[in-house]
Amino acid sequence: MRRGPVLLFICLLMLCGGIAALYTAPQIPIRGLQDVQLDRLICGSCFALAALTGMMGIVSFRVAAFKLARRVTALSVTDRKTLLDANHPDLAPLAFAINDLTEQARQFVERAKLRVKELEIQLKVATAERQHAESIIYSISDAVLVTDPFDELVLANESAARTFDFDVATASRKPVNQVLRDPKMIELIQEMRQSNSRSGRRIVEHQVRTPQGGRTFKVTLSCVSDGAAATATALPGAVPQPVLPTGVVAVLHDMTKEKEVAEMKNDFVSSVSHELRTPLASIKAYVEMLIDGEATDDKTQAEFYEVIQNEANRLSRLIDNILNISRIESGLTKVNKQPLSLMVIIKEALEVISPQAANKNITLKEALTPVFYQTLADRDMLYQAVLNLFSNAVKYTPEGGSITAETRVDEAKKIVITRISDTGVGIPPKDLPFVFDKFYRCEANNRMAKGTGLGLSLVKQIIEVVHKGRIFVESSVGKGSTFGFELKLAE
Amino acid sequence: MTEKTILVADDETHILAVVSLKLRNAGFTVLTARDGQEALEMAQANQPDLLITDYHMPQLSGIELCQRLKQDPATAGIPAIMLTARGYQLEPADTEQSGILRMLSKPFSPRQLLTTVNEVLEQYPRVAA
Repeated sequence: MRRGPVLLFICLLMLCGGIAALYTAPQIPIRGLQDVQLDRLICGSCFALAALTGMMGIVSFRVAAFKLARRVTALSVTDRKTLLDANHPDLAPLAFAINDLTEQARQFVERAKLRVKELEIQLKVATAERQHAESIIYSISDAVLVTDPFDELVLANESAARTFDFDVATASRKPVNQVLRDPKMIELIQEMRQSNSRSGRRIVEHQVRTPQGGRTFKVTLSCVSDGAAATATALPGAVPQPVLPTGVVAVLHDMTKEKEVAEMKNDFVSSVSHELRTPLASIKAYVEMLIDGEATDDKTQAEFYEVIQNEANRLSRLIDNILNISRIESGLTKVNKQPLSLMVIIKEALEVISPQAANKNITLKEALTPVFYQTLADRDMLYQAVLNLFSNAVKYTPEGGSITAETRVDEAKKIVITRISDTGVGIPPKDLPFVFDKFYRCEANNRMAKGTGLGLSLVKQIIEVVHKGRIFVESSVGKGSTFGFELKLAE
Repeated sequence: MTEKTILVADDETHILAVVSLKLRNAGFTVLTARDGQEALEMAQANQPDLLITDYHMPQLSGIELCQRLKQDPATAGIPAIMLTARGYQLEPADTEQSGILRMLSKPFSPRQLLTTVNEVLEQYPRVAA
C-alpha cells in the first residue's frame, strides 16, 4: 500500500475534522478543567494529528530520497544487471529516468570501448606497416633520406649514413644542413621542397665525396604530400583542399660501377674498331692500288698480294681472339677438362713454334717435369695459352737469343708452375701492370712486332677464369721477360 | 714547277709504304717517319709542303705532332692531313690549334687521299717561314 497518499489523506481528514470541530461543536466546558473547553480540545487534537501525519510523510519521503541518492551514487555503469529500485512510490519516475539514463550511458561506454579496440588494432597495423616500410628502407642498398617540411631529417638508412658519413642514431629530427656536409645535396632537397611538386620527380646525377672516395649517384627526389588530405580530395563530391607537402624523399643510387662498365664498354668498342680498321685499311688500300695498276712490276704485285694475305690473316686472328675472350668472359665457352700433362702440351707448342724461332736463330731450351704430373685442364685452351706465350717470346726476342720452357711441381701446394723465359727486349716497369689488359701494347716495343694486344689477355682469361689458376710476369728491360702460370695438380 | 715534298708519318709499315708509293707515282717527293718524334724532326729539317699523319703513333701522337709544328714559326705554315682509325671528327679548333685541314678515316682510299692532297696543296699553298 502506498504510504504517501494515506498519510496525505489522514492529514487532510484531521485538518477538516479540526475545522469542523471549531465551528460546529458546542462550547462545553470540561469538568475539572474550567479553562479548557471540549470543542477546542477536539480542534487542537485534529490539527496536531494533521501536523504529525504531515511530518511523518515528509520524513518518510526524505528517507526514501536519501536511500535513492545512495543507490545512485553506488550505481556502476559497468554493472549491467543492477537496476535502481525507487523504494518510495513518489520517487519511482525519477528512478526510472535514472535507470534509462544509466542504460544509455552503459551503451555509450560499450560503443566507446569497441572504438578503442578498433583504434588499438589500427595502431598495431600502422606500427607494423611502418616497421615493415622502415625495414625495407633500411635493407635496400640505395641511400634513402626523408625530410619533413622544415628540412629536418625524418628517416635515413645505413647506406645514406655511410655515403654522407653521419650517425643514424643521432641524426633523426636534425636539420639536414647540420647532418649533411654536402651543400649540393642540401640545395637539391630544399629546392624540391620549395617546388611543392606533387606528382613530378626530379632525377639528377650528383658526385658525392664519400669516405670511400668520390662516387657518382643518380639522385631521385620527390615530394611527400599529406596522404589523408589527398585521398579526401580525391573522393567524388569532396571540396578540394590544398595539399601541403610534408617533406622530401631522396633516393641515391650508386652508379659509379655502372659508369665504369659503360666506359669500359665504350673503350672496348673503340679499341676493337681501331684494331679492325687498321688491317682493313691496308687491305683496302693495297687492293685499290692493284686495281689502279699502281703496282707496275711483278715483284711489287707479289708484295702487295702478300701484304693483303697477311693483313687478312691478322684480321682473322683478331676476330678469333675477340670472340674467344668474349666467350670466356660471358661463360659461353664449352670447357672440356681432363687430366693431362703440361709437359706434353709444352712439347707440342715448342714443335709448332720452332720454325719461327729457327728463322731468328733463337735457341729453344726446356726443363720439364715428368709426364706423370698431371693437371685438370681443357687441352685446346691450355695449348692456345702456351702457344701465345711462346709466340710472344719469339716476337720480342732479338736474333740469336734463347727461350726456356720450364715446369716445376710444388708438392706442398699441389701446384705445377710453368715458366717461359726469353732473352728479349723486356718490358718497362710502368707497362708491367697492364700487359694483360685488352688491347694494351707496350709502346716501347711496338716496333719490335705486330700484335693485336689481345694475346696476353686471352692467356690470362684461359688460366685464371677457365682454370682458376694464377698468371704472372717478371721482366727486366734489355735482359728479357718471364711469363708463367700456376695450375693445380690433378688429384 | 718544283716537285712538292710530302712528309708521311704512320707507325703501320704497310700504310706508310702504300701511301708513299701512291704519292711517288703521282710525282711527289715523299719523306717517311714511323713515329711522331721522328716526323717532328724531319719536318723541322726538311720543311715539307704537306704533312700526312696518322692519329695514333708512338712517342708523339698525330695531334701533338701537328700542335708542336703549329707552335714553331718555322713549321707553322705546313698544312696537315690526318688519317685516323679512331673515328675522330675534325673540329674547327683542330684546324686553328694544329693546322689540320682534312681528316680521312681508315680504311681510306689512296685515290681519295691523292685527291685530298691535291686540293689542300692548291687551296693552302705552303707559306714560307
